[in-house]
Amino acid sequence: MSQIKLQNITKTYKVGLDSLVAVQDVSLDIQKGDFISIVGHSGSGKTTLLSLIGGITTPTSGRISFEDMDLAAMGSNGLSEYRCQKIGFMFQFASLLPMLTVKENLLLPTIFVPEPERTGAAKLNDKAAELLRSVGLLDKINAFPGQLSGGQQRRVAIARSFMNNPALILADEPTGDLDEETEQEMINFFKSMNQTKGITFVMVTHNTELASHTPRRLRMHQGSLQLL
Amino acid sequence: MPERFTLSSLAIRNLRRRPLRTTILVAALTLMVASLVFALSFVMRVNASIQLTAERLGADLLIVPTGARGAAEDILVESHVRSFYMDKAILERIRKVAGIDKLSPQTYLVSLIGMCCSVPESMVVAFNQETDFIVKPWLKKKLGRNLQKGEAIVGEESAFNISLGLIEMETKLFGNAFKMVGVLDKTGSGLDTAIFISDENIEDIIKNSEAKIKADQISVIFAKLEKGANAYKVMSEIENNIVEVDVVMRKDIGKSLLATLGDIRKIFYFTMILSTILSLFLVWAIFTAIANERTREVGIMRALGAKEGQVVKLFLFEVLVLGAIGSIMGIIAGTSLSVLLAKNFSILKNLPIDIGLLSRMLIAAAGLLFGTGICVLGALSPLQRLKKLEPLIAISR
Repeated sequence: MSQIKLQNITKTYKVGLDSLVAVQDVSLDIQKGDFISIVGHSGSGKTTLLSLIGGITTPTSGRISFEDMDLAAMGSNGLSEYRCQKIGFMFQFASLLPMLTVKENLLLPTIFVPEPERTGAAKLNDKAAELLRSVGLLDKINAFPGQLSGGQQRRVAIARSFMNNPALILADEPTGDLDEETEQEMINFFKSMNQTKGITFVMVTHNTELASHTPRRLRMHQGSLQLL
Repeated sequence: MPERFTLSSLAIRNLRRRPLRTTILVAALTLMVASLVFALSFVMRVNASIQLTAERLGADLLIVPTGARGAAEDILVESHVRSFYMDKAILERIRKVAGIDKLSPQTYLVSLIGMCCSVPESMVVAFNQETDFIVKPWLKKKLGRNLQKGEAIVGEESAFNISLGLIEMETKLFGNAFKMVGVLDKTGSGLDTAIFISDENIEDIIKNSEAKIKADQISVIFAKLEKGANAYKVMSEIENNIVEVDVVMRKDIGKSLLATLGDIRKIFYFTMILSTILSLFLVWAIFTAIANERTREVGIMRALGAKEGQVVKLFLFEVLVLGAIGSIMGIIAGTSLSVLLAKNFSILKNLPIDIGLLSRMLIAAAGLLFGTGICVLGALSPLQRLKKLEPLIAISR
């Protein structure tokens, strides 16, 4: 059984009177534990494809299912629960909330977990600390995003995406602001999470060198998906 | 045990983000609720005073000389000092009107310190002990007997004003020595500030002072009607047949004061409506700005798993905290104003009763409900727009 299955997905945006096709007739099977990279130029539809998989936007046509559950049938609350408990997002932009400390930013996704499934505060704090140690920022646990560099903020956002034990990580240019050395550390961290915890990764990047680290590589071109 | 990070912790952090904006919003709400609480306290105090006075008088009709209706109400409702007179013979003409059961006259005199009397300016009420049903129940309760000639008993607030409280003290009233034999319990009417004497003293007062009153004059007549008699009919009958008098029904006592206060109330209501609209607009504008400012954050939170309901909860928590703080400050300010200004507003100063604790609590509850309600109402439309945004669209803004 596929973990994620995309069947003939098309996503069209209205731009004034015109229509812009961001994703065109894409079909894709992603198995549990896959590590996939999708490369492509800016505007090729990579981010839209990730957003469709993550349920933060809906396809114009086609069907997306997660473990055989049709995303379109989940409704607004069902999709929120899906994003909260199954997906970990790494955005391509600064996505930390400025008024929260690093630790609070990490704890942010946990407050959306339905009450009966919520973990105790002590365990969550330990987990946040552990993830920050993994990305090398434990000493910044009480800092505010404004006190961090762009690269550090990016690493905090990476750590945050693992807080709710996701089954699938959707990473949009996850190493964009990082230097080569840190980029390598993060890729190693991803690989370790993929291998030890069986977390599925779908990573979009325009960096073919970064994509070469992944076992399965795809190319997005003008909204269509091709094997690399 | 470590504190859990929750939606409310997030809301509190949000409120601290822009202290100036939060302060402006709270200040606007405080002003709005304060004006509501002050206006309600004022109106309720006036209404309660008038209602209580009418109830406690125990008379169905108040009969006064033509044109003295307002002056009589000034005395009874507002504790003002007034005097006016009519011929005592009118009493007998009224007695003949069908439906009248009991009549009791009172004569009002004004004491002036240094001129005639050794007490500050006060209403001196001379009443007929044989026919009286207004003062006697209070007198019976306190003194247990009738007043003798040369004796006086003072209203509860008059005792305070005169710094009396001293029974058996002698004082001079209209050139005559009077022994103060006691202090009446608080009646809640304007008569609380008066000094009561028996009308047997009138003759001596006329003889020994320059009081304007003539023999055989009275100020008001209180009438009790027979069971089943129609008060309106009796009033019309008296007014049609005796042109020298005006008649006020129990339920109409205080009407002229209410009419006088009508414009003030209108100003209050108008101010309240304006401040409500202004606050509503301010809350809407501020929350629209907040919603625009936080659209991307809301998109991120939605992508991280926040439900629409949780976004609403987060904003509502902020709105309610702001509303509650503004309302509570407004309630404190409005109540303090109503207490402080009551001492300076001549209309309020003279009203015999203040509103009770229960009324104050009701007004506070109304203020809290109103303040938070305005806040929620103002924030509703930007919030509705925000929660309905698709997460990707919100993020890309």
